[in-house]
Amino acid sequence: MLKLTKMLATALPAALLSTAALADGETIAVFTKNQTNPYFQTVRVGADVAAKSLGAKVVHYIPTKPDSIPEQLSQIEDVIVKKPSAIVFVPVDYKAMVPGVEQINDAKIPVVNVTDRSAGGKFLAFVGADDYSLGLETARYLLKTMGGKGNVVILEGVKGSLTNIDRVRGFNDAIKEFKDVKLLASQPGNYQRLQGLQVMENLMQSHPQIDGVLAANDAMAIGAIEALDGANRKAQVIGINGTKEAVDAIKSGKLLASGDYNGFVQGCIGTMVAIRALRNEAIVGEVVLKPTVVNASNYKPYDVPLDARTCPTWEEAAAMATKTPTKTN
Amino acid sequence: MSVAGDISTGAPRLHLSQDMQQLLYRLLAAGLLCVALSIATDAFFTTNNILNVLRQASLLFFLASGLTLVILTGGLDLSVGANIGLSACLAATVIKATGSPVLGTLTGLTAGCAVGICNGLMVAKLRIPSFIATYGMLWVLHGITYYYMAGETIHGFPPGFRQIGSGYFLGIPIPVYLMVGFLVAGTLFAQRTVWGQQIYAIGANPVAARLTGIPVDRRLILVYAFSGAMAGVASIVFLARLNSAEGDIGEAMTLPAIAAVLIGGASLFGGVGSVFGTFVGALILTLVLNGMNLLAVNASWQPLVTGVIVIFAVWLDMVGRRRS
Amino acid sequence: MSDQALSSAPARLRIPAVPGVAVALAGLAVLFSALSPGFLTAGNLSNILVQSVILLLLALPMTLIIMTEGLDLSMGAVLTLASLVLALIVVSTQSLVLGLAGALGVGLAFGLVNGWLVSVLSIPPFVATLGTMGAAQGLALIVSDGQSVVGIPRFIRQVYSGEVAGIPTPILIGAGFYALFHVLLYHTRFGTYICALGGNRDALTLAGVKWKRLLIAAYMLGGAMAGVAALLMTARMNSGHPTAAIGMEFDAIAAVALGGTSFEKGNGWIFGTLMGVLTVGVLRNGLNLLAVPSSVQVACIGALVIFALFLDGMRSHKS
Repeated sequence: MLKLTKMLATALPAALLSTAALADGETIAVFTKNQTNPYFQTVRVGADVAAKSLGAKVVHYIPTKPDSIPEQLSQIEDVIVKKPSAIVFVPVDYKAMVPGVEQINDAKIPVVNVTDRSAGGKFLAFVGADDYSLGLETARYLLKTMGGKGNVVILEGVKGSLTNIDRVRGFNDAIKEFKDVKLLASQPGNYQRLQGLQVMENLMQSHPQIDGVLAANDAMAIGAIEALDGANRKAQVIGINGTKEAVDAIKSGKLLASGDYNGFVQGCIGTMVAIRALRNEAIVGEVVLKPTVVNASNYKPYDVPLDARTCPTWEEAAAMATKTPTKTN
Repeated sequence: MSVAGDISTGAPRLHLSQDMQQLLYRLLAAGLLCVALSIATDAFFTTNNILNVLRQASLLFFLASGLTLVILTGGLDLSVGANIGLSACLAATVIKATGSPVLGTLTGLTAGCAVGICNGLMVAKLRIPSFIATYGMLWVLHGITYYYMAGETIHGFPPGFRQIGSGYFLGIPIPVYLMVGFLVAGTLFAQRTVWGQQIYAIGANPVAARLTGIPVDRRLILVYAFSGAMAGVASIVFLARLNSAEGDIGEAMTLPAIAAVLIGGASLFGGVGSVFGTFVGALILTLVLNGMNLLAVNASWQPLVTGVIVIFAVWLDMVGRRRS
Repeated sequence: MSDQALSSAPARLRIPAVPGVAVALAGLAVLFSALSPGFLTAGNLSNILVQSVILLLLALPMTLIIMTEGLDLSMGAVLTLASLVLALIVVSTQSLVLGLAGALGVGLAFGLVNGWLVSVLSIPPFVATLGTMGAAQGLALIVSDGQSVVGIPRFIRQVYSGEVAGIPTPILIGAGFYALFHVLLYHTRFGTYICALGGNRDALTLAGVKWKRLLIAAYMLGGAMAGVAALLMTARMNSGHPTAAIGMEFDAIAAVALGGTSFEKGNGWIFGTLMGVLTVGVLRNGLNLLAVPSSVQVACIGALVIFALFLDGMRSHKS
């Protein structure tokens, strides 16, 4: 028994030391919500690319239980002990993580808010997209393609999630602009592919004629497409996120369009802001990406694999700024 | 089952064994549910919807059938959901790399089975309680899957392969044929083979089973291997249906699968239950969820309703058994 | 007379020489101290203790319940619901006392239902608490409509982040309840009965003890502790959230099993549970400090659980 323990005691450090940070340049701690949603992977890769190009190091913190609030709070406490140079923060829940942000503020670590706008705490800057406009523009695109009339359904995301609230609001406002469009149902698919599929199947049972599907994210949109294919029915489907899978579906004509929710760029700019602030260079207070609807005519730039992408230059990022920085320390 | 004459009235009475009675009650319950739903909404009793229900139930059934064997021995397998995730991701990789759905399917089945064998070894040889062993395995599987997938998805499989999940044959979804196949095979195995009877014996009385010469350890490894292999089957059907692999496929299916087994009349103490009962349990659970969706019941009520049904089904079972 | 029959019932556990969990805890602590400079600081150790308290509050009553050959799968969901109820009450009445009463009420109510299902209807604990878990989860989603409940006055935060005589309040709360459970289990008749409920239920019946009420009490204790934990959780998040503690019961069960309490024989060891909880806390903290990738962390947690019980299995096999 002791032999086994001894073996592990020597093997483990060897394995772990290879991942232990040897700080050389700034260390940026990047917090994301979970390991499974591809969107956050794009944010992480964006952060990695930005840091590498600027000579800093990034360490990722992801809860072992997806979207776990207590775990992200614990990770913040543990990270504060390590004193990273700065933090790039995607809150698991934009309201419940406020005490965690306040702890970061108390520890005087500069922090940038990315993707979900936190309901409290002090940040160097916010980098995100405007979910409302994204929902609005993407929905408008679909409704125009439908000729301004027909039946639509909405597949909502996770209840209580900020992105969901804004996107669905955008959908609904777009629908109001088209008098001859009828909203048949609005059901949650929890941003999951399988649920999107099953909800779509059930909706197709209750409604024989569906012309358009507004899905709050690409996973659900793809799920809806699979459901339609399975039942040999046709409808125009849009999603949001602009993931690789969505781009492939647009290429093959199955998906009409996807709202570009560019996690890669958000990760880039968020990290760039953090590093520049540490180096006392000029930063911006807020970057809200303009809504872009990815469709069959403009998908080429989105078809580039993640590892081949480069971050926007600082000049490009600053040009997108929507607010001047506020003094936080 | 036997027909016996009643002396006083001279009318023949049908004697059904306990288990058969319970099964009939459950079928009755499923039937009543169908009737109720048909009345409540027009959308229920359409061909499309019935086929959908059967297809959704099949996914649950694949997982629950393997679990039934484990539960028959008095154990539990909490790792099946995570097993689906890993097996699906490995199968997807192979399909993409070799272009061969056959190789991919074999990979998925082998991976699921291998995980099951590990579980079985932990329970039988290392004597770790099944709850803990499979719970630990759940975490280990998730860790491996997340590491391997690194937050990405694998998507876009050959249309022939996708028929397994979303195709039809003679108007009936293919997963339903698979479900019937496994139902028949599982029932025959459990009721009519020596190994099946040995599994029941192990659950009913492990000590006695050992004393009568049943190779308990080998049978335990067998049931966990089955459970893992069925998770592998489920992962292939999932893959074919969803046309993509993500790290957390199947995550939410473990507890509903256990619920299906319990609703089907199996006892957690082992020795009681059947694959057919699990089939009915999976059907009942899927009918309820389908009904709630069709009636546009707020999704928040689903966990509550599922919970109440599980308790009610088990309670009815116990009341029924105690009466005779 | 009833005491005579019971005094021969084993009230203590035959603790193996060096339990698996002690090896794991000590080993991990040494490992992380060596690899990570920040690990052995007062601040970090204090963090580990504070982060472990909520899980400890669930694991303590879970130990008792497992000793009765039962299980409570509803604890995480009940904690979540209680935390929401507390948040809602505090937001509308500004009264912490009323909020706590609400949380305790929710916990006790679910505990009562659990206990009744298990003892009166004789439904297996796994099934009964699986059902009530679903009920609590559903209620949490319905009550909150899927959203966080915010607007909680700042002073509630003090319960989690405040200190008394330099010691963080949660640690005091945890220590207090640990002491309570220790006394309850080893120095009261209730504790003796609980031990007997696990291994020797017939003896209790013969002795005329109303064991059904004891069982109900055990589950209600679990529910009440979920209510207390809800206070800490709400204070920590400064909000109530409908999915905050989902799944925590499995962590609690794993911690209890890590600590050496057996599912089958009614042996229970509170100190083992404490070590189990701390081991998990140390592991997570250490891995975070070492910035180990999250996927590897997930696998390590599973490996720890299996490893510790494997050690125990080997030991009892040898003896």
